[in-house]
Amino acid sequence: MSFKDILNSGKFAVTAEIGPPKGTDIKEMLHHMEILRGKIDAANITDNQSAVMRISSIAVCKLALEYGLEPILQMTCRDRNRIGLQADLLGAYVLGIKNVLCMTGDHVSAGDHKQAKPVYDVESVQLLKIVDGMNNGKDMAGNDLKGATDYFQGAVVTPESNPIEPQLMKFEKKVKAGAKFFQTQAIYDIEKFKTFMAHARQFNVKIMAGIVVLKSAGMANFMNNFVPGIKVPQNLIDELKAAGKEKALDTGLNIAARHIKQLKDEKICDGVHIMAIGMEDKVPAIMERAGLL
Amino acid sequence: MIATKKREFKDLMENIKDYKSFFLVGCSECASLCGTGGEPELAELKETLEKEGKTVTGTFRAKTGCQVLGTKVELKPFKEHLDKTDVVIVMSCGAGTQAAVEIFPDKPVYQSNDTLFLANMTRYQIFDERCSLCGECILDETGGICPVTACPKGLLNGPCGGTNDGNCEVSPDIKCCWVRIYERLNKINRLDDMKKTREAKDWSKSQKPRALIARTKEEKKK
Ligand code: SF4
Ligand code: SF4
Repeated sequence: MSFKDILNSGKFAVTAEIGPPKGTDIKEMLHHMEILRGKIDAANITDNQSAVMRISSIAVCKLALEYGLEPILQMTCRDRNRIGLQADLLGAYVLGIKNVLCMTGDHVSAGDHKQAKPVYDVESVQLLKIVDGMNNGKDMAGNDLKGATDYFQGAVVTPESNPIEPQLMKFEKKVKAGAKFFQTQAIYDIEKFKTFMAHARQFNVKIMAGIVVLKSAGMANFMNNFVPGIKVPQNLIDELKAAGKEKALDTGLNIAARHIKQLKDEKICDGVHIMAIGMEDKVPAIMERAGLL
Repeated sequence: MIATKKREFKDLMENIKDYKSFFLVGCSECASLCGTGGEPELAELKETLEKEGKTVTGTFRAKTGCQVLGTKVELKPFKEHLDKTDVVIVMSCGAGTQAAVEIFPDKPVYQSNDTLFLANMTRYQIFDERCSLCGECILDETGGICPVTACPKGLLNGPCGGTNDGNCEVSPDIKCCWVRIYERLNKINRLDDMKKTREAKDWSKSQKPRALIARTKEEKKK
């Protein structure tokens, strides 16, 4: 079943993230694809993540297809204008890529080419509209396409954004612009997430909760202080601390698995998106502990 | 106004090292307010150049240095000084420099400043950028705060995921303009403006180089 069919059928979907490497040595990345193949429903292929230049997302999506892993093309608006974005959308589609995640993209100042000119000719909401138009046979300027796309398009949302109201307004704009599914920024407080879900459930879209594995109490504190829109509650930090250095990662995996199980069992959302950030090999372990394998 | 910043003197020196005599042109408008092209700066550069063994044939502060005709007329009395001059150094903005290039077709013109942005002066000699001259203003829809300029990504439909407790992902020194817009629209009871989806900007409206004839036909004849 395709990723789209899985989500639409109401089955709890699982996606994970593959970050293309910087350079032509793709052995490790292919190894990660190998590990994830047959276990997850689709893999997000990041687009110059954190504004750090890497192999293009489309190229790696194509490799994923060849490896039997359904890709979700992450597309940011940072590096291409509307002509480049649309050309790549058509190009990716003819290569067999069917899912696209439309995002604005981290600013170049976060990355490794700080002198680059940031583009942002369009942004996430407008990119979603572009995809919707192309699915209906038109480019952004209203010209007819010789052959439309049939993308399953998604977007991102940050349920713990502070203040939350502007974020929710943008979420609604993304729904109106045609987003069919959402992957959220990492969430750690399930009760608070339920409040967000109560709002999101008014709309006919699929929501996948973002899961980032906590490797240590230090990492949790770092994220609280420096990563926008992420709030790790104190009780989880205490749990990691109590586990001690040796057991911290294992505890982090348990926390992720516990959250996934709860989200699934209580039917809180439609799936999870696991961002392992360098620990792709741990994804099967998390899924196993969550009772998904 | 236009914000300008003095270049390092050694960089200016590197550009003008082959020449001996200079005429300095400041500006009484923005460059004076920025402290880059007023009387004190003209005097300072004159002194520095002379210390380096150069000759300064004259200094002059234009009323409005970007105004080509006006500045040309103002410079007429300086003809003698200018005839003895190898190079004109302009101490205003890039527009002032290019006015001088037009006024002095036969002389090299160099500039002592970098030109930064269209500026609001918030306190004496403290400037920030609030409008980037996009050619099609959307302030009426955004509570009078410009996201094209105040958001490093120029987003038109609300905050990105990087918005951080009211600050911008790019720097904690920048407030997230979409939180500012949200708060202001909330205050003036116009939150509905934020719910409208804004189309992508029409950048053809700011295709360079831009030109404008603001006067009417009749005036032109006169
Ligand atoms: S939208 Fe912003 S950049 Fe454009 S004209 Fe208005 S204030 Fe200036
Ligand atoms: S945090 Fe706010 S101001 Fe900064 S880039 Fe994002 S939307 Fe723009």
